[in-house]
Amino acid sequence: MRGTLNDQSLIYLQIARMLEDDILRGVYQEEDQVPSTNELARGYNINPATAAKGLNLLAADGILYKRRGIGMFVAKGAEEAVRRKRKAAFYNGYVKPLVKEGASLDLTGAELLDMITQAMKEEKA
Amino acid sequence: MSAGILKAQGLCKSYKNKEVLHNLDLEIEPGKIYGLIGRNGAGKTTLLGILTAQNTKNSGQVTYDGQDVWENQRALNDICFSREMQATLFSGPNNLKIKHYLRSAAIYYPHWDQAYADRLLEEFKLETKKKISQLSKGQMSMVTILIALASRSPVTILDEPAAGLDVVMRERFYQLLLEDFAQTGRTFIVSTHIIEEAASVFERVIILDEGRIIENAPTEELVDQFRYVSGRDDVVDRACSGLQVLMTHQMGRHKTVAVRGDAVRLAAEEDVDVSPMNLQNVFVALCGHGDAQ
Repeated sequence: MRGTLNDQSLIYLQIARMLEDDILRGVYQEEDQVPSTNELARGYNINPATAAKGLNLLAADGILYKRRGIGMFVAKGAEEAVRRKRKAAFYNGYVKPLVKEGASLDLTGAELLDMITQAMKEEKA
Repeated sequence: MSAGILKAQGLCKSYKNKEVLHNLDLEIEPGKIYGLIGRNGAGKTTLLGILTAQNTKNSGQVTYDGQDVWENQRALNDICFSREMQATLFSGPNNLKIKHYLRSAAIYYPHWDQAYADRLLEEFKLETKKKISQLSKGQMSMVTILIALASRSPVTILDEPAAGLDVVMRERFYQLLLEDFAQTGRTFIVSTHIIEEAASVFERVIILDEGRIIENAPTEELVDQFRYVSGRDDVVDRACSGLQVLMTHQMGRHKTVAVRGDAVRLAAEEDVDVSPMNLQNVFVALCGHGDAQ
């Protein structure tokens, strides 16, 4: 997980996002236990209720599940679930701002698509 | 740890002819960390003093677990209000020593944990034979914090514990607070002017403005109601019509406003930038009264 909370979005969302990142990255694999509410609270100097809210959000999305009296674990198919969730948010969160910024710079659609193709080539290389 | 609800109803308080708390209601639920924020002179210390029966009130009622707190030993046994230390006492220097404060705290607070107090003394490198008047502002804060934590009171109130502490010690303080809270789940009320670094520690935040409680809400839910909206002035005005605008800042034709309400959708509908605010921004927008421009 990242060492610090630094962006302006709500802390419980940041906690959820960091755990999702770690699931995508394979830091936590299916059936692994994730940090507890108190561990997260201590690690990031945040209120345990806030940490719990982040964990519960992922439980509601079926990414984590609770084992009574033990803690939270990564659910089966969690990686796929995170990916699906992120894809759903990708259009509004990345594509639309990209197009908006492109329009304000008077970039044509063709130019924008060229840039994307170029960036994809570089990513592969 | 079982704790009751600390409740104030219809509190009024005046100093001479000036009313400083106006018909104030407040309910402190057990097992939560509350942040109390307000500008200088908003009435924070007066309110905390009245909640803990250390200060008188003109009207209203304060109860703990349904019992009036005034001169009520049973209720006060559960409540600790660790006040800011003063370098002067009456008209001379405060010649009491740290050990005097600790000794009286050990007598006064029935849940006092001496082993915990000793651990904190060592961690804070405090010499108990030092006089209060010889301490730095930060060291005085450490004594206040030490007494509050070691009191182990089910309801523990700290008034400006972060004042005077350097940034390393402030972080350590919030760590200690959270560690204690994780173990005991007791209720804390912490007042502070250093808002942003404390925001993540508070489950709920109480905003006191000119003797009135204007907010008492879960911290993140409150903060999420506010946004900055900026862009060309006429576009911003059009976009924000129907929303509560709290603060306006204009530079040429570029205008930034702080709004409360459903502003997230605006970025998609109009050519404006919408960005989140933090607790400190929200506080300034609500309590700035035009002083901050």
